[in-house]
Amino acid sequence: MTGPTPTARLKIFRWKAVGPLLVLLVIVVILWIIFADTIARHQTQSVGTELLGAKVEIRNLHLDVPHGKVLIHGLTIASPHEALRNLLQADELVADIDVVPLTEKKFIVNRIAANGLRFGTTRETDGRVAAKEGSDGIAARVMAETQDWAKQFQVPILQLATGKLSVDSLDPRRLSSIPAAEALAARADSSQRAWKGAFDSLRIGPTIDSASATLEKLKHARATDLATLNEARQAIERLKRAQNRVTTLERGVKTGVAGLQSGLAGLDSAKRRDYAFARSLLKLPSLEAPQIGAALFGQTAIKPFERVLYWAQLARRYMPPGLLPRAAPGPQRLRRAGEDVRFPKERALPAFLLRTAELSFLLKPNSNQPQRYAGRLSGLTSDPALYGRPTVAEASGPQFSAGGMMNHVRSIPVDTAGASIGGIPLPAFDVPGVGLRLDPGAGTTQLAFNLNGDTIHARFALRSSNVTWARDSAVTSSTIGNLIWQAASGITNLDLEARVSGALHNPGLAIRSNLDQVIASRLKAVLGEQVAAAEKQLRARVDSLVDDKVAPARAKATEVQTQAQAQIAQQRARIDELQKQLEQQLRNLTRGIRLP
Amino acid sequence: MFALLKLIQSLFGALHSEGTPGQLAAGIVLGSFLGLTPLINIHNAVVFAALMLLNVSFAGGMLGWAIFLPIGFLLDPLFDWIGHSLLLAPSLRGMWTSLYNMPIMPLTNFNNTVVLGSLVFALLFAIPLFIALRWAVGRYRETVGARVRQSRFYKALTASKAYNVYRMFRP
Repeated sequence: MTGPTPTARLKIFRWKAVGPLLVLLVIVVILWIIFADTIARHQTQSVGTELLGAKVEIRNLHLDVPHGKVLIHGLTIASPHEALRNLLQADELVADIDVVPLTEKKFIVNRIAANGLRFGTTRETDGRVAAKEGSDGIAARVMAETQDWAKQFQVPILQLATGKLSVDSLDPRRLSSIPAAEALAARADSSQRAWKGAFDSLRIGPTIDSASATLEKLKHARATDLATLNEARQAIERLKRAQNRVTTLERGVKTGVAGLQSGLAGLDSAKRRDYAFARSLLKLPSLEAPQIGAALFGQTAIKPFERVLYWAQLARRYMPPGLLPRAAPGPQRLRRAGEDVRFPKERALPAFLLRTAELSFLLKPNSNQPQRYAGRLSGLTSDPALYGRPTVAEASGPQFSAGGMMNHVRSIPVDTAGASIGGIPLPAFDVPGVGLRLDPGAGTTQLAFNLNGDTIHARFALRSSNVTWARDSAVTSSTIGNLIWQAASGITNLDLEARVSGALHNPGLAIRSNLDQVIASRLKAVLGEQVAAAEKQLRARVDSLVDDKVAPARAKATEVQTQAQAQIAQQRARIDELQKQLEQQLRNLTRGIRLP
Repeated sequence: MFALLKLIQSLFGALHSEGTPGQLAAGIVLGSFLGLTPLINIHNAVVFAALMLLNVSFAGGMLGWAIFLPIGFLLDPLFDWIGHSLLLAPSLRGMWTSLYNMPIMPLTNFNNTVVLGSLVFALLFAIPLFIALRWAVGRYRETVGARVRQSRFYKALTASKAYNVYRMFRP
C-alpha cells in the first residue's frame, strides 16, 4: 500500500531578495543624504508659494535633523500684489525645530532667528501667483475675494467731457425708472383686479337690499309684529357680518396700498439713480469737498486696506478656529490631488507651530547711518484652538512701530493690526484721470485695522510736508487737471485720512484731505455754473425719456389706491347708515315694551 | 512600443512560469496596489518589499502594476469620493483623530481622500481579484497554455533579452 505523494513544501519567503532589497534601501538612504536639502528647498518653495500666493525663493537650505536645525540663506518672498516688488528678503534664517513631532507630520518650530531682513525691494520677474488669472488654490480665491471687495467702493472720478455736453447717448434701456414704472403699473393693475374680485365676493349689495326691504317693512310694522322684529334683528346681524367682511378687506387693501406707496417711493429713488447714471455719462465732476477727496485719493487709500484684508483673510483660512476636521486641497501630483483632511485633537500638538521668531532688519541699509529695527512674532499656528493663545507680532525702531494680533482661539476670530512709520520716502501715486502725479516724499503713514468677525474698522492716514506735484507727460492735460494743478501744486502739505467701517460685505468708505476744500472751491468758482447747467440739461433729458412711463404708472397707482379706499368707505358708510336706521326703527317700535 | 513589448513579455512569461497560479495571482494583486494607489506613499514601500521578499511572482507584480496604473487614474474620482465619505463620516471621526495624532501614521497620508479611497478599494478588490486570477491562470494552463508555448510567437518573445531579465525574478 502506498500513501499520497508528498508535495514539495511551498516556500513563503524569497530570502535571496533580502540582499537586493537592502542594497535598494542603502541607495535610497544615500540619495536622501545627497538630495535631502534640495528636496526640502524645493518643497519649501513650492508650499510657501502656494500658501502665500507669491513666489517664495530660497538660495540655500540645509537640514540638520539630528540637531533639529534648519538653516535658510537667501530667502525671498515676492509681493502677491505688486509685479516687480518683493514683500521681504532675508539673508539668513535659523530655525530650531522639534524632531519628535515630525514623526506625527507636525512641524513645531521653537525659535526662528531672522537676520538681514529687507522689505519692499525690487525684483526682475513678476513674483505674483495668486493675482494671476487662471490660478487656483486658497490664496488665489482669497485674492479674488479681496479684489472684489475693493471694487465695490464707488470712487468718483474727476473728469470733464470734452466738447459739447450732451446726453444724447443715454440709452433708455439702461435707465432703472422705466422697468420700475412698468412693474408699478403692473402691480397697480393686479391690485385693482384683486380688490374688485374681493369686493364682488363680499356680496354687500344683496345684504343691503335685503336690509333696506326689512327697514321698509319695519316702518309699517306694529310692536306686536314679532316676525318682522325678528327679521329686523337678523338683518342687523347680517349687516354686522358684512361690516366685518369689509373690515377684513380694508386690511388687505391697506397692505396693498402700502406696497403701492413703496413702489412710488422706489420710483423716486430709481429716478435719482437715473440722474446719477446720466451724470456719470457726462463726466461731470462733483464739486463737494468729500467727493473731491474720494476722487483724488480713493484708489490709493483703498489699496492698503485691500492688502491687509488679504493677509487677514488668508490667516483665517490657514488658522481657522475650532477643532472640527478640516479639508484642504491635497499635494499636486500626476494623480488627482484629492483633499487632505486634518483631525486636530485636544491637548495634542498643532500641525504647525512657530513658538517665537526674532527678527532684526535694517532700513536705509546703504546710507551712512542705517537704521536698525527689531521685531518679534509668537504663537503662529495652524490650530489656534489647540495652542490656546493668539498670534502676536510687534516690531519697533526709530520712527517706526507696528503690532498685530490674530485671535482665532474663539469661534469669532478677531484680527487687529496697527503700524506707524515715519521718515521713510513714500511711493508716488497718480491722481486718476487728470494726468497728475503726487509724490508725498518722506512722511508719516499710519494704519489701523480691526476685523472682528465680519465687521471691519480700518483707518489709513498719510501726513507729509514735502509733497511735490508733477504732470504726467503721457496723459494729455485736461481742464480739470489744469484746475487741480493751479489749486494744489503750490501746496506742500498733505494730510490724508481714509476710513473703512461696517460689515465686510457692505463697508462704508470716508476719505478726507486738506486739499479737498481748496480744490472744491477752485472747481466751483470755475465750473459751478457750467456743471449746474449741464445737470439741468441731463435731468430734463432723463425726464423726457422716463416720464412717458413713470407719469401714467404713478397716476394709475394713485387712482387705484384712491378708488379702493373710496369704495370701501362708501360701502362702510352705507352699511353703517342702514344699520343705524334699522336699530333706530327697532328702538322706536319696542320703546316701553319688554320683549321676551 | 518597448514598454508594450515588455508588458506582453511579462504577461506570457508570467503565465508560463514555473510558479503556481496562486503565486502569479498574488503577485498581480500586490502589483495592483502599486497601480491603484498613488505610488509615492509608505504603504507602497511595504507592498514593494513584500513583492520582493514573498515567494510570489515578481513579474506578475510588475504586470499588475502596469495593468492597474491606468485603471487607477481612471478611478481617481471614485477613490476621492470613497475617501471623502470615510474621512468625513462622523462615526469614524474618533478613529481618524486617534490615527492622525499617532506617530508615523500621518506619514502614510491616510488622511488624503484619494490615498485612503484607493487603498480601501484595492484591499476590498484584492480577494476577489486573487480568486479570479488563480482560477483564470489555472484554466489557461490547462487549456491553451501548452499550444501557446509551442507557438512561434511565444518562442520569438522569450528569445529576447528582456525575457532574461524577467527570469532573474521568476518564482
